[in-house]
Amino acid sequence: MIARLRADARLLPVLGAIVVAFGAYAHLTGNATFAQAGTYAAIYAIAAVGLSILLGNVNQISVGQAGFFGIGAYSVAYCTAVQNWPFWPAALLGVVVAALVGLVLGFVALRFRGHYLAMATLAFGLIAVGCFHETKALGGAMGIGDIPFARLGPVSLSGEAAYWFAWAVALLVAALSLNLLHGRTGRAFETIRNDELAAEVVGVPTRRYKIFAFAYAGALAGLSGAIYAAYLGIVVSEAVSVALSIDLLLMVVLGGSGGVSGALLGAALIGFLDIAGHQFENWREVAYGVLVVLVVVVAPGGLAGLLRRRATSPPRAERGPVSVVPATRVQAPAASLPLAVDGVTKRFGGLVALDGVSFRLQPATLTSLIGPNGAGKTTLFNAVCGIGRLSAGRVAIGGVDVSGWQPHRIAALGVGRTFQNARLFGEMTVLENVVAGAFRTERSDPASDLFALPRSRRERREANDRARATLARLGLEHVAATYAKDLPFGDRRRVELARAIAADPWLLLVDEPAAGLNAAERTTLHEDLLRLRDAGTTLLLIEHDMRLVMAISDRVMVLEFGRTIADGDASSVRNDPAVIAAYLGTAS
Amino acid sequence: MIQLLVAGLTVGSGYALVALGIHIILRATRIVNFAQGEFSVVGGLFALTFVQVLHANSWFALIGATLCGFVLGLAFERLVLRPAARSGEIGLTIATIGTVFILLYGHALVPGWGSLPQPLPAFSGEASDVITAGGVAVGVQSLWAFALLLVALGALYLFFERTYYGKAIRAASNNPLGARLVGIDVRTTGAISVGLAIALAAYGGTIIGPIALVGGAGGVAITIKGFVGAIVGGLESPVGCVAGGLLVGVVEKLLQGVFSYGVADPIVYSLLLLGLLLRPQGLFAARGAIRD
Repeated sequence: MIARLRADARLLPVLGAIVVAFGAYAHLTGNATFAQAGTYAAIYAIAAVGLSILLGNVNQISVGQAGFFGIGAYSVAYCTAVQNWPFWPAALLGVVVAALVGLVLGFVALRFRGHYLAMATLAFGLIAVGCFHETKALGGAMGIGDIPFARLGPVSLSGEAAYWFAWAVALLVAALSLNLLHGRTGRAFETIRNDELAAEVVGVPTRRYKIFAFAYAGALAGLSGAIYAAYLGIVVSEAVSVALSIDLLLMVVLGGSGGVSGALLGAALIGFLDIAGHQFENWREVAYGVLVVLVVVVAPGGLAGLLRRRATSPPRAERGPVSVVPATRVQAPAASLPLAVDGVTKRFGGLVALDGVSFRLQPATLTSLIGPNGAGKTTLFNAVCGIGRLSAGRVAIGGVDVSGWQPHRIAALGVGRTFQNARLFGEMTVLENVVAGAFRTERSDPASDLFALPRSRRERREANDRARATLARLGLEHVAATYAKDLPFGDRRRVELARAIAADPWLLLVDEPAAGLNAAERTTLHEDLLRLRDAGTTLLLIEHDMRLVMAISDRVMVLEFGRTIADGDASSVRNDPAVIAAYLGTAS
Repeated sequence: MIQLLVAGLTVGSGYALVALGIHIILRATRIVNFAQGEFSVVGGLFALTFVQVLHANSWFALIGATLCGFVLGLAFERLVLRPAARSGEIGLTIATIGTVFILLYGHALVPGWGSLPQPLPAFSGEASDVITAGGVAVGVQSLWAFALLLVALGALYLFFERTYYGKAIRAASNNPLGARLVGIDVRTTGAISVGLAIALAAYGGTIIGPIALVGGAGGVAITIKGFVGAIVGGLESPVGCVAGGLLVGVVEKLLQGVFSYGVADPIVYSLLLLGLLLRPQGLFAARGAIRD
C-alpha cells in the first residue's frame, strides 16, 4: 500500500510538469480547443480522484457520481445566475450539500455490496437527474444559463485562466487526497478493502470510514460540478445524467483505481480522446467500452498500474535507529474482571451453537478452551468480540457490559484476537498489518490526515516504529516488507499474533495458534504466549494440541455442544470422565 | 384507467423478460448484467433487420431475433464474462457496464439501425388495431405482446423442468461443485444460461416492438426497470421476477398517467432503493455489513 502511494507521489510532479507543458503549448500556439479540452480533463479529474479512492481504496463502487456533480453544478448555477451570489460561497454550498448527500448515500450503501451497490448508486444518480429535470426553480428541461465566470480577485476564470485554475485545484485535491491516504484514514481504508471483519476486530470503525469515503467522493464530485458550471456557463440535466457517471467510472478504471495518479491519467486520457475523436462520436464511445472490458480482463491496475509495475521495485524494509515511543496503552481496569460471560446463548436457526455458557477470567491468567469440532469454541470467541448478535446472555469486559457492541468498540477497550484461518490483510505488507493492529491507539482524524498536520505525521512515524519493535519482539523483522499473502503458513499465524498484540491488549483471544506449526515453531509460540501472560495479559486460547494446552494452561475449560462440560486445572480436566467420553466417545 | 393498465402490462412484458434474464444470469454466474436492457434493444433491432432486409414478417423476425440473441449471448459470455470472471464481482460489474457502452453506441453505427427508435410492423393487421370489449378499447398488439410473454414463460418452464439441459442448468446454478462432480459441464451450462438470457431479452425487445418501438438509447432505463421488477418480485424467484416486471410496467404507466412523464421514472427508481432496503432477505449475505 505504501509502495503504491509512493509511486503515486512520484508520479504527481511528473503529471504537474505535463500539465504546465501542455498549457504552455496551448498558449504559444493559441490553440483554444486544446486549452478547453485540458480544462474539462482537470474538472473531471477532480471527481475521478474521489471515485478512485472509493473504488480502489475502499472497494465500494458508485455508478451515481453524476448526482453529486449535478448538486455542485446546480448550486453554482442557481446561486450565481439566479440569486446573484459570487462564485465561491455558491461553490462551497454545493460541496457541502454534496458531502451531506454523500453521507446519506454512504449510510444507505452500508447495506449493499458489489453489484447491488452498483445498482443502488445507479438508481441514486437517476433519481438525482430526475429531480433536477423536474424542479422548476432549476429551469426544468432548459436548465440554467448565463452563469457568470468565477473570479479570483481581479481575474475572470475563463479561457486559459480557467485551464490553470482547474488544474491547480485538481492537483491540490490530488495532493491532499494523497495525504489522506498516507494517514490513519488511508490505513483504515486499506484494511476495509482487504478484510472488513478483520478490520473491525483490530478496531477500525469500518462503517464510519465507508460513510466518510462516500461523503469525500461526493464532495469532490460536487466541487468538480461547481467549477464545471461556472466554466461552461450553462447547466442542463442531460449533462449530469448516467452517461457522466459511467464516464467517470471509465476514467477511473482506464487510469487505474486506487490512489490519485490513475484518476488524473484517466481523466486526461479521456479528455484528449474526446477531442481527438470528436468526429467519430459513436466509434469513440464503442472504443471506450472495449477498452474498459480489456482493462478489466488484461490489466486490472489500469494505466497507472502498468506504469507502477515498471517504476517500482518490491518494497524494501527501511532500517535505521528505532526509538520506540510506547503506545498509550488502554489500561486494564484494576478492580474488575477482564472477562465475564453470563449465560451466553447463540442460535443459528435451529442449531444451538452456544447454550448458556458462563465463566469468568482472572487477570493475567492463561485459560485454554478445548472441545471437539463444532463444540462452539469459535462461536464463543465471536460472541466475546461482538461478531454477530447474541441470542441471550451478556458479556462484560473489564466490568463494562459490551453485549450488542460493534467489534471495533470492543477492540478499543483493549481486546485483541486472532482467527482460526489467520485473516491477515493480504495486499498489505507484514509491517503494515502490524501497524494496522495498533489502529485503536492512534487518534488522528481525517481532517488532520488531509492536511498532513504534525500530529498525523508524528503518529504515522511512531506507529511504524512501534510495529517494527513488535515484529522484533517476535523475531519477524526479516519478513517486515513481505506482502502478507506471500507468507508461508507458519509465519502467517505469527504475524497475526503480532498484529493482535501490536496495541498491547490486556485481553487476548487466540484461535488455534499451533495448528500447522512444526515442533520448533510450537516451542516459540509456547514461549511467546507465556511471556504475554507474565506481562499481565489475560489470555483465552482455543487449541487442539493437548501437549501445548496441558503445558501452559492455568485453567482448562471443555466445551461440548455449546455447553461447558468441565472446568478446572489441566490435570483434573484430563482425568474427567465426561471429557474422556466427549473426546473418545466412550459408551456411557 | 384500463388503458393505462394494458399499456403498463405491455411494457411490463418487456421488463419481465429482462428481469427474468437478469435472474438467469445471476443464478448462473453470480453477476448482475448491466447490459441486459441494451441486449433487449439490440434484439429488437435484429428483428427490424429481418423485416427490412429479408422482408420477413414480424413472426419470422421474432424467431430470427431470438436466435441471434442466443448467439450474441454465447459471444458475450465467451468474450466478456468468462475472461472478466477473474477480476471479482466489481470487475465483472464494470465489464458489463463497458458492454453497455459497446452496445449503446455500437448499434447506432449499424446501417439501417441508427440512433433513433423505429417501429416494428404489427404481428397482425395494423399497429393501431383495437378490440373493443365492454366499452374499453384494447390494442391488438398489446394483446399479442402479452400472449407472447406467456408463450415464452411456458416454453421456459418446459425447458427447465423437462429437458436434460434445463435440469443441468438448474443443478449447476444451485451447486456448481456438486454439478461438476456428477458430470455436468458447468462451463457449458453457464454459457447456455447466458445465451438463453440474452435470447429472452431479444425476444422481449421484439414483442413490444410494434408498440414501444425498437432501438434508441433507453437500454439502461430498461435494465434498471427490469432490475426493479426483479427486486420487488424477488431476485431468487423466476415467477417473482416476471410478476415484478409486469408490476413495474403498470406502476410506471399509472404514474405517467397521474403525474407527468418525467416524474414517473424517479419514483420508479426510488422504488428500487426502497425495495433493496426493505427486503434484505436473500439480497445481502446477511443482515448488516460485517457479520459473517
